[in-house]
Amino acid sequence: MTTAVVDRAVQRPTATRAPLGRLLRSELRLVLRRPRTLVVLGLLALVPVVAGVGIAIAADSGALGAEGPNGGGMASLVEGNGLLLPVFSLVIAMTMLLPLVGAMLSADALAGEAANGTLRGLLVAPVGRARLLAVKAFGVAAVTLLAVLLMTVTGTVAGVVLLGGDGMLTISGTTLPFGAGLGRVLLFAALVTFQVWALAAVALAVSAMTEHPLVVVAVALGLVIVSGVLNAIPALDWLTPALITTSWGDLPDVISDPMPTGNLVEGVLRGGCYLVIGYSLALSRMLTRDG
Amino acid sequence: MNRKRTALSAAAAGTTAGVVGLVLIAAPAGADTTPPALPETTAESLVASVLTTDVPALSGTVAVSSDLGLPIPGLPTGDEAARIYTDGEGKARVSLIEGDGEKTLVADGATTWLWSSADKSVVKYTGGARDKAGEEQRLTDPAAAAREFVTAMGDESTLSVDGTARVADRPVYQLVVTPKPSERTLLREVRISVDSETRVPLRLEVLANGSAAPALSLGFTEFTPGAQDASLFTFTPPAGAKVTDGNAEVGKHEPTEQQKQDLLNAIKPKVVGSGWDTVYVGTVPADLLESEVTTEDKGGREGGKTTGLDLVKQFGQPVSGAFGTGTVITTKVGTALVTDDGQVAVGAVPQQVLVDALGQK
Repeated sequence: MTTAVVDRAVQRPTATRAPLGRLLRSELRLVLRRPRTLVVLGLLALVPVVAGVGIAIAADSGALGAEGPNGGGMASLVEGNGLLLPVFSLVIAMTMLLPLVGAMLSADALAGEAANGTLRGLLVAPVGRARLLAVKAFGVAAVTLLAVLLMTVTGTVAGVVLLGGDGMLTISGTTLPFGAGLGRVLLFAALVTFQVWALAAVALAVSAMTEHPLVVVAVALGLVIVSGVLNAIPALDWLTPALITTSWGDLPDVISDPMPTGNLVEGVLRGGCYLVIGYSLALSRMLTRDG
Repeated sequence: MNRKRTALSAAAAGTTAGVVGLVLIAAPAGADTTPPALPETTAESLVASVLTTDVPALSGTVAVSSDLGLPIPGLPTGDEAARIYTDGEGKARVSLIEGDGEKTLVADGATTWLWSSADKSVVKYTGGARDKAGEEQRLTDPAAAAREFVTAMGDESTLSVDGTARVADRPVYQLVVTPKPSERTLLREVRISVDSETRVPLRLEVLANGSAAPALSLGFTEFTPGAQDASLFTFTPPAGAKVTDGNAEVGKHEPTEQQKQDLLNAIKPKVVGSGWDTVYVGTVPADLLESEVTTEDKGGREGGKTTGLDLVKQFGQPVSGAFGTGTVITTKVGTALVTDDGQVAVGAVPQQVLVDALGQK
């Protein structure tokens, strides 16, 4: 008995445990090799360019002056203010596209593998369940970050080229130098990424519980939509601070000057709670799942 | 197997921690409900200290929430919040978030700038016209609002200190202004929360009869006294913004003395009663009642055209009495009565008081 334990302990590192770096790299390669991932990343990268071209054309024809119910707001500020374009695009994408991407990646990570029948192989493979989940979660998080960064880069480039402007005109009417403006853009991208991670974590928990990827996407988007509806009901105001989407609307605080940090910090805490809940549920399901 | 159990309990603990975290975030700010221990004070000395204190340099967030029982155009309905910075010496900055835009008011002592991000416009006021722009600022200044109120209501009210509480995470005295029993008013009491340290009123709440929640609440949700960065109180209109001179605008719309006199003669304003049951009676010029106004629905789309009187009737209930027939609009904090021949009576009083006031010719 004792010998057996010792034997296993000795053998384990050499025979069965693959280096973590290699696992993560192979997972990333797996995700990025899926055609739909590439299509989605490409489309997301195009969003800021399309928005930039649209705003540039609208500005030329003077259409932005006549603000509609939602048309005014940030769009009119983006004109001649290129550094705001990535922020504007991310705000648009945060309403549906980015949550969809997070949900889709999470759906593919576990439920998709289960549907293909490949998850069974992974579960019986000599990789710990927690380790497997960590690798999957890393894949989702890394590609989400990649998607947001892609949008940020194309947005910044398209903004500076198409709309121009030196520095960043904040929503408060002050002008930040280019470096500080770029800092705000990166901060915004980081906060957006974190919020998508939080939703993706919840989606990953669902993904561990089903073998139908569509269910995962439906539940995650359902969560977003139901949160929005609950948010709109005045009688449920007490619930608002606990809803996952509550902090999404506060994200544009980043382009206020001086930047009010209260809501942003609270948003990170709220997202963190969902992140922990999501990963914990996913872990407990993975551990109890049959091989 | 043992490792699995450890991991499972870690997962359970993680889930619990996340849920607890969400509950903590959702719990109302200042969940610490035990009233702070502060030295005793009398209502009189509290009022005196409020009236004499100078607003220090501070930064904070002011929130307005109202539940008046009727959406009245022009009043802030629902919740609004503004960020405020002041150096305590007349320079101030107020930021009001509106949808995905922001309105910023910067007063640098000589010039007041009003920036609106929605249409990238700047309005500039210099010198005396500053007060006009300051009206928006005054709306969001709990200190000034509370002071004006105490001055106006002093004689007809009972002042008392109702213990201590926490507002914006600071210990406050609760100054309660209650109407004397002889006052016939819809209001139950007005609560003013006075910061124990700076003696700045941090919150003003108006409570109406028959409801526990305040009908109107105006107060700081964050309050940090301390020196502010001087750059906050300067403003340079950004390139590409359209700048208009507010002084010229004000001058254009300023009515002449003759016009003012004509308007006063037409309205025949009269004040009936005093204190809490003050009723303002006047006559609306007939052409104003008959004039067509264009109504807007919630989405901002243009609705049908209607006359002013029809609009009033739409909101209110028909009523008749010694004065003839008219329409009464009732809210939690006040009542307005418009007769069909154009007389108007308004006050924070029940309907009967308005009818009596209209009877006093």
